[in-house]
Amino acid sequence: MELTDRELVQRCQAGEMSAFQELVSRYHQKVYMVIFGLLRNREDALDVAQETFFRAHRKIGGFQGGSSFYTWIYRIAVNLSIDAQRRQKRNPLDFRESMDDLLESQGEAARDPFADLHDKELREKLTSAINDLTPEHKAVIVLRTIEGLSYKDIGEILGCSEGTVMSRLHYARKKLQDKLSAFL
Amino acid sequence: MNGCEDKVASIERWLDGELSGAESESLRVHMVACAGCSEARRRLEKLQSTLTDVLLSEAQPVDFMPFWRAVQLRINEKRPWYQDALDWMRGVLPASRLAWVVPAVIALLLAGVSLESYWRGGRNAFATVESIDAYGRNVALLREYDTKTTVIWLYQDQEGENEAAEETAPSGPAF
Amino acid sequence: MKLLKKPPLRVLLFSLVAMLAVAVTGTAQTQPQNIEVRIGAILASNQNDEFDARLKGLEKQLRVLKYRSYRLLTDKSENIPRNGNKVFEIPGGRSLMVTPQEFQDNRIALQVRLTDGKKPLLDTTVRIANKGNFILGGPPHEGGVLVLSISATVQ
Repeated sequence: MELTDRELVQRCQAGEMSAFQELVSRYHQKVYMVIFGLLRNREDALDVAQETFFRAHRKIGGFQGGSSFYTWIYRIAVNLSIDAQRRQKRNPLDFRESMDDLLESQGEAARDPFADLHDKELREKLTSAINDLTPEHKAVIVLRTIEGLSYKDIGEILGCSEGTVMSRLHYARKKLQDKLSAFL
Repeated sequence: MNGCEDKVASIERWLDGELSGAESESLRVHMVACAGCSEARRRLEKLQSTLTDVLLSEAQPVDFMPFWRAVQLRINEKRPWYQDALDWMRGVLPASRLAWVVPAVIALLLAGVSLESYWRGGRNAFATVESIDAYGRNVALLREYDTKTTVIWLYQDQEGENEAAEETAPSGPAF
Repeated sequence: MKLLKKPPLRVLLFSLVAMLAVAVTGTAQTQPQNIEVRIGAILASNQNDEFDARLKGLEKQLRVLKYRSYRLLTDKSENIPRNGNKVFEIPGGRSLMVTPQEFQDNRIALQVRLTDGKKPLLDTTVRIANKGNFILGGPPHEGGVLVLSISATVQ
């Protein structure tokens, strides 16, 4: 029978590395996607995702189950991502070039489904608009969009109230809409 | 939007599944009747779907085993002590908190310096003679540390003056 | 107000405000409206061994002068307004003009002029702690010497 997150955490706290491996297996893709949504760069996102689980392993002894494991791990991931964003020196133009390189290197199979020029332009504009958001506003958009988390869960992850989450989402969406008004 | 600006936030919450059943139904009925809100809903849904496609499609899948090996490597690697200290500090003092801690510390330091000079000013019981003019007479300054006493002593020894006084009065204190 | 959301500017602005507030309150102290100046005129001599009980509070300071006897002649106290001065009549036909100067770091600067009739004997500026004093002595008087205790208190 599959163990719950709580049971795996208890086993980790008892020193079972295999339990921790199972937790990593369950959440590494989700954590990576959230981080990638924030950093928009694969290498950086992988680095931060690995660091997230390293930190989680270090701190797991102190995890008391007040929140769910996934909000706890997301909190670590988002905090590290926000730190990384502040240190990030890449600009949107560099990002677009590296994404193009990546897509090209992956060949036909990786080509995005929006072959149409209008949508490609919309995606580029949206990517640029997302990058222009502050780390905090980007975080709420990413957590809501990628994970479909509730305002309550997002608030727990970011350490703010539901009202703040709502306000940040509203502001971020308004900013994105203003920049993409011609396309929407 | 014709005065439905306040409805946009509700529409967002509705799309996010954060409205109660009754609130949802009320909003849904309103959107059917209101062209402005209906358009706002359309734009938000379009934005949301584009966001989802952009954010989900660009993230490549991550192979677990190479990822896990990299995590294990970090766990087994011994980090320099200052790295842990820096990490701890970043956790305790994120940039947003640091932005207030730094000026608060500056303000406290300045307040402490001011208070210390104020305190010192009061505690320093010695009088300080900043200027003195005895019009040609000899004058002595004495500081007695036990009692923190400052004494200015004027000698009556200007030539031709107060000779009678000098005959009767002691020449000066024996300090 | 968007600017205020950027931490570096917020840090700078808050720091400036904090420093200004501390500077204004800490260093540029409010100048008092009145200073109470008290002059005690004392006769110090070696004619006997009596110590005036009214001078108990000054005993340790006066003993520094090594006279055997101390007698309080006059004890006057006046409130002097800021930018004002006051002339105290001193035994022996002398007078003492006291002009409070600035008040800073809990210390008061007093400009003091001792005259004998119209003849100036001494001009001095002394900075003393609030509620503190200094001793000015030496002019001969009645077989002894005149000793003045000059103190000041912020009102």
